[in-house]
Amino acid sequence: MSHTLTIEPTGDTVTVEDGQTILDACLRRGIWLPHACGHGLCGTCKVEVVDGTIDHGDASGFALMDFEREEGRTLACTATLCSDATIEADVEDEPDARRVPVRDTVGTVVRLDDLTHDVKGVVLELPGDGLDFQAGQYVNLTVPGVDGPRAFSLANPPSQRNRLELHVRRVPGGQATGYIHDTLRVGDRLTVTGPYGRFFVRTADPVPSIFLAGGTGLSSPKAMILDLLERGWEQPMVLIHGVRAERDLYDRPVFAALAARHPGLTYIPVLSEPQAGDDPDLATGFVHEVLQRHFGGMFAGRRAYLCGPPPMVEACIRTLMQGRLFERDIFTERFLTKGDGGEGRVRSPLFKRI
Amino acid sequence: MNAIGKLGLKQRYALLTRGLDWEPSYQPRDKVFPYAAFEGIKVHDWSKWEDPFRLTMDAYWKFQAEKERKLYAVLDSFAQNNGQLGLTDARYVNAIKLFLTGVSPLEYQAHRGFAHTGRHLPGIGPRIAAQMQSLDELRHVQTQVHTISHYNKFFDGFHDWQHMHDRVWYLSVPKSFFDDARTGGPFEFMIAIGFSFEYVLTNLLFVPFMSGAAYNGDLATVTFGFSAQSDESRHMTLGIEVIKFLLEQDPDNLPIVQKWVDKWFWRGHRVLGLVAMMMDYMLPRKIMSWREAWDIYFTEAGGSLFEDLARYGLRPPRYADVATAEAEHISHQNWAIFYQYTHAAAFHTWLPSDEEMDWLSEKYPNTFDKYYRPRLEMWREMEKEGKRFYNNGLPQLCTTCQIPMGYTEPGDPGTICFRTSEFRGETYHFCSDGCKDIFDDEPEKFAQSWLPVHQIFQGNCGGASVEDVLRWYRMNLGADNMDQAGSPDQRQWDAWMEARRRVAG
Repeated sequence: MSHTLTIEPTGDTVTVEDGQTILDACLRRGIWLPHACGHGLCGTCKVEVVDGTIDHGDASGFALMDFEREEGRTLACTATLCSDATIEADVEDEPDARRVPVRDTVGTVVRLDDLTHDVKGVVLELPGDGLDFQAGQYVNLTVPGVDGPRAFSLANPPSQRNRLELHVRRVPGGQATGYIHDTLRVGDRLTVTGPYGRFFVRTADPVPSIFLAGGTGLSSPKAMILDLLERGWEQPMVLIHGVRAERDLYDRPVFAALAARHPGLTYIPVLSEPQAGDDPDLATGFVHEVLQRHFGGMFAGRRAYLCGPPPMVEACIRTLMQGRLFERDIFTERFLTKGDGGEGRVRSPLFKRI
Repeated sequence: MNAIGKLGLKQRYALLTRGLDWEPSYQPRDKVFPYAAFEGIKVHDWSKWEDPFRLTMDAYWKFQAEKERKLYAVLDSFAQNNGQLGLTDARYVNAIKLFLTGVSPLEYQAHRGFAHTGRHLPGIGPRIAAQMQSLDELRHVQTQVHTISHYNKFFDGFHDWQHMHDRVWYLSVPKSFFDDARTGGPFEFMIAIGFSFEYVLTNLLFVPFMSGAAYNGDLATVTFGFSAQSDESRHMTLGIEVIKFLLEQDPDNLPIVQKWVDKWFWRGHRVLGLVAMMMDYMLPRKIMSWREAWDIYFTEAGGSLFEDLARYGLRPPRYADVATAEAEHISHQNWAIFYQYTHAAAFHTWLPSDEEMDWLSEKYPNTFDKYYRPRLEMWREMEKEGKRFYNNGLPQLCTTCQIPMGYTEPGDPGTICFRTSEFRGETYHFCSDGCKDIFDDEPEKFAQSWLPVHQIFQGNCGGASVEDVLRWYRMNLGADNMDQAGSPDQRQWDAWMEARRRVAG
């Protein structure tokens, strides 16, 4: 039987399977905890159990002392859950993070747009106070007849809390996205739970920002840019949106108009596989290549926000890091489609978030 | 006073590290830290160093005190209950001899190395971390000396481990590894020991070793191993922070760090060949083969590490592929060397039993039956005829790793691998491309290597005969050395077991 684990101080929650360690569950959900040896000997992954019952597993008596066990500490790499639990880990809380409680609400579909041949724009109207969130966060959508919710980033700024905008790409063979594309109609009602995620803009120390989006990974950066512009952000912003061909590109007029109005915003759509007849004025190549060219390969002193398919994100991280921008200034939200949950590569302890 | 009591861990740590630093006023900084620049590493902003752990000195003593209490309770009980009688077999003790005489002195070297490096790093964060690690390493060697002390009461070969560490031909392999690291600059030492050894390779050393001890009834070793490993959290996170910090500080650091990662991976791989041999040949009850350990701890865990490091433009260590291919061979080749030269070693060797050979065939289906079983069977025939093979020649040693030149060409296990370099009119010999590259990068340094066989031929090791040399090593001839069969260790063990059977009736 699985249990729910809450990680403080960030408030993230993950499902931990029977026999699965806390560390494994967290890493596979993209939540970094300090760790090193991975088998109960070194003690790097020590956490405090605030609530719930755990089994210490094979934690070494030297890595987890008796007095520590009595004080409610455990090793995330060997501990399994016997009940729902809350732990406190040595992870940084962000000054820009607003801890918005997750809530359930029901939205009514008021618009359905074909943004491209395989991306549907869905606008949901929410009653009452709507949904409070930070630009960049996502919600879980319950789709009728489909087991388990699906995550979608919000593309509207938080100022429009009663009018949620989602960009839904049709996943080949995907049940939920198939339903949204083929069956969903204006006037239908959907259950929305959220907000989730730690992907948000860092404004405490203002520096020029780079937004890198791949495909429908545009949704979070769109919300972030609209939010920043509304708040009178004065630092330069560059948005690079990568798609395969012109037929996959959407919201070009929206961003072109914004860039015309706001000289601080630069908008660069880019095609990786341009087709005959595509607009010759559009840049071609991959997002990381345009990134490299646009900035001359030097990114120090900026901050980057990445959202898109994992290969694009990885290529951009490498480009940024080799151009002197490092983890503390790189933020990313990985697309987690259904099935990604348990299969993520377990990474080395080198990086915390990226 | 209350205000101080209320400080958070982070603030307290900051006060006890960053807050302890000062700007020198009557000496310029480059005089205070004279080794900070010559390696070419550029650091622009030490404040960007992120403390990889937040352990204050007061908490440090509390933790270490409980570890010590636990450890010595186990060691005492092991001693009082004659724990050595619970070992699987007398042969197992030889693995411990090799570890305690080969690796324990390295803990002391690490203590010295981190003390020196801590003194010479201009940043306060890493200086405090190196200081703590220096204390840890001193604790580790002490715990191991107590284990040596216990085993020395019952078995041969432990009595003069410090003297031997500086002289004996095979102990020069781990010794020269650490001498090399300690005579590098402070940044090379941090990459060599803090990153390459403590992070990339430590699991290959400790996990098989401790599991092997646990499988073979050696609670004393399991306990000092666990006790040491529990400090590793700080050592490993320090190693990771060092490499990240250097790579982030300046792009010119990348080629320097890459060179050190290449070098120290290969040097570590050569030293760990001793562990390979121990796992495959010396443990009476096996845990896993060296090949399996390499796959888990280097190929998989190291693979994800180097995939992440690639983001900085760092590539996996040069010759990692060669090392992985060698995992099929290295334990067999090392055991063959020690089997031939066990008359000059302070531990015993033997030929694997039929069962053990079958286990090796199963674990090494590509290599054991084809290349190594026939030689072992031939030696077994010779033993039956009363001609146990001892090699009376002195082996040529690799100038870099100091191991006898017994390794084979990559991809050709029938041909011994020889490499040479010329330097100031002399020819230097190497076991591999990895060792040759290391020499070629710093020939002035490695031309000074104290190579045991050269020293014997130059008359610096007690005399001209093998016996003279072994006496100079302070070995007890006929007790410490030669085959396990017929050794005093084995005779005594057999007598203990016989007595136990009599008592059991």
